[in-house]
Amino acid sequence: MSRVFVTGIGIISAIGDTATKNREALINKQCGITRLSLFNTKYTGLRPCGEIKVETHELKKKLRAHEKGATRSSVLALHAFEEAVADAALSVKQISSRHTALVGASTVGGMCLTDELYNDANRSENGSEYLSSYDCASVDLYLQLRYSIGGVINTINTACSSSSNAIMYGARLLKSGLAKRVIAGGTDSLAKFTINGFNALHILSPEKCTPFDRDRKGLNLGEAAAFLVLEKEEDIAGKKVYAELTGYGNSNDAFHPSSLSDEGDGPFLCMQRALQKAQLPASAISFINAHGTATENNDFVESQAMIRLFGIPPPFASTKANTGHTLGAAGAVEAVFSVLSLYCQEVYPGVHFSNEIEATGLKPETSYRQLPLQHVMSNSFGFGGNCTSLIFSKV
Amino acid sequence: MEKEKLKQQLKQQIIQFLNLTNVKPEEIKDDEPLFGEGLGLDSIDSIEMIVLLSREYGITIQDPKEGRKILVDINTMADYIAKHKTK
Amino acid sequence: MYIHHYSCISPQQTFEHAHVETLHESADNKLTAKEPVYKGIPPGILRRMGKAVRMGIGAALPVITQQPAIDGIIIGTANGGMEDCIKFLNQIIDFEEGMLTPGNFVQSTPNAIAAQMGLLSKNKGYNITHVHRGLAFENALLDAMMMIKENPGNNYLLGAVDEISAYNYNIDLLDGCFKKECISNKDLYHSVSEGTIAGEGAAMFLVNDNAENATATVKAVQTIHTTDEMEVNRTMQQFLEQTLSGKQADILLTGENGDARLLKYYWGVESFFGEHTSIARFKHMCGEYATASSVALWLICNNHQWPEHMIKKQGEAAPVRNIIIYNNYRGVQHGFMHIAV
Repeated sequence: MSRVFVTGIGIISAIGDTATKNREALINKQCGITRLSLFNTKYTGLRPCGEIKVETHELKKKLRAHEKGATRSSVLALHAFEEAVADAALSVKQISSRHTALVGASTVGGMCLTDELYNDANRSENGSEYLSSYDCASVDLYLQLRYSIGGVINTINTACSSSSNAIMYGARLLKSGLAKRVIAGGTDSLAKFTINGFNALHILSPEKCTPFDRDRKGLNLGEAAAFLVLEKEEDIAGKKVYAELTGYGNSNDAFHPSSLSDEGDGPFLCMQRALQKAQLPASAISFINAHGTATENNDFVESQAMIRLFGIPPPFASTKANTGHTLGAAGAVEAVFSVLSLYCQEVYPGVHFSNEIEATGLKPETSYRQLPLQHVMSNSFGFGGNCTSLIFSKV
Repeated sequence: MEKEKLKQQLKQQIIQFLNLTNVKPEEIKDDEPLFGEGLGLDSIDSIEMIVLLSREYGITIQDPKEGRKILVDINTMADYIAKHKTK
Repeated sequence: MYIHHYSCISPQQTFEHAHVETLHESADNKLTAKEPVYKGIPPGILRRMGKAVRMGIGAALPVITQQPAIDGIIIGTANGGMEDCIKFLNQIIDFEEGMLTPGNFVQSTPNAIAAQMGLLSKNKGYNITHVHRGLAFENALLDAMMMIKENPGNNYLLGAVDEISAYNYNIDLLDGCFKKECISNKDLYHSVSEGTIAGEGAAMFLVNDNAENATATVKAVQTIHTTDEMEVNRTMQQFLEQTLSGKQADILLTGENGDARLLKYYWGVESFFGEHTSIARFKHMCGEYATASSVALWLICNNHQWPEHMIKKQGEAAPVRNIIIYNNYRGVQHGFMHIAV
């Protein structure tokens, strides 16, 4: 079984359109949660979001993405994809090779075009240009076509853990010899669909979200795309290597369609399985990029699960207060942050935190600092009890 | 009498709204708890019922926790509706 | 990878007392699934389920209630609960983003199917949903094959589900996927026009690495994305060389679907098989949908003596041992499987 290394990263989020800009924003405790300005919804002003303040058509112009039917989710994905493959210095020929796999993830896909979808679903003529762009697969089919990627192409949707599972699936493709290199990640753009969905569940915060805070009021949605280039040990000579992907674990909480059990079996098990895969004791983890959505349910359960597994948990924080919860992209976004943490030997603080949850007494990191890091864990938990943890290690 | 009518109507609305296809209105007792035991409803149902109160009776409940105090059984719901309905 | 238990809800009689010799007809270019009375699903849970979730759970229950117990759940679905998804969308527009019921939203996410299975079977193991449109099932299959290699002795529920909803039918019709004229599934392969007929269903399998008493063996799976039929031919040639290592395939089972635009791919692929090999088809039974190739796999598990209506060309092969499945989704996504029985 070959070891798997991260040789390229790309990200666009509410706090920056490159990995470098995202890192600077994290160091400076910058928050990307603002009033929505790029599309109309009743919740503009009522539910702040992690919005990328660039219109879709401007992104298309910048990326020369003039293909018909390209949605915002696809264009954000393309932005991050191009940064990642350039960062890993992959040639066009390498990208199109049948040994190159693409594993994407999304939960919104082309449904960001809520009004177009409504019309196309309910009208008998004059379909829009987006007829084959609404599903989640449309994003990866778009990237495949643009780069003629020849290997395994896949799209995963396990709600908010989608792109962590994409990274896990990518690593397994490499280890089983089904690919020589994998570009794995995810994308989601803000949509009326998700804003109304999460709002109907009463878990959207009317203010900037406060992960792990006693008085947290729910999550802020965000939009982002992030991709990582994964390569094998034998192919990385002379390349910049950010980190090794040493562990991954997937579990199901098997409790409720939209909330986690108090015991947190799902979160506990995926962290434990990731440790087993990495052959590490819990004490080896230097830092956790927590799921930390700032909903009442998640932060409490995640804290309990961390205490159950670690006793005294290592330093941790949630970057969702910076980017918002980017759903299908969140796992990849936070994998990029974890990899940057390791590469630069620093931890990014949680913003907007004031008081710990009484029952757990856990306090996230609140200031930027340099810290020797060996192994960083990244957690993602989704609706349907779909939980996944990744462990990245210093090279 | 008015209250009885309201309760009947409410039972039918709950069955329709929550798609309780195997339940008949007369099977729902006025003092039977709606959540946990009894009908076995859960947290998503409680939010659905808050929407029901809004659409059918013009009653707005912002906090789902507040809702749980009203959505105890048919009696508590009917009392609350009788007092607060706006349509 | 070995298949032990298998179950299918489809437009044909595939669920209880499977009988596929009699062909049930389509209506309005749709082959709608024959849903059974769902016995094992608690009514309190059933009431919330959309059709895709219901079919998926319904088909999975006979598999997961048998021994051995499963260690994980691997599902392929292009759209999951599409009907719920658009119902929620309609609420957003119709109630102008007012007070909305979250039930449809929660049920509409494609992972709700695998999640609900985890919930019902109290399974906290590996749980994943592949949604890569016409290759969602093939990716799930590949995932299961890797899982079994990584975790010897483990058992997985592998399956696929997709539903016809009025809305996705409308979108795909506008996109030119379905025939404009109304035809019967009995005449599907005589049609010379563009488009096909819609279908739906769920097929579930218990898979592991135990050869003993296995129904079928999944030898290999491969996928490509291309519109170039020569590329498809090259891939088929290589696939056959690698997986059959000199042996001849006994049956080629294809996803031919009556769409004139796709015939060139099927003709190209068929040219690799000689007198020895029978050629059979299955989309007249289940209609076209993104994860229909799972029904092809179920048919192989179900009976080795295939009904006349499936046979396109009778070959010389007997007994049947090696079967190749080739499926083409909308001229772009191509899946190849090698199954041995």
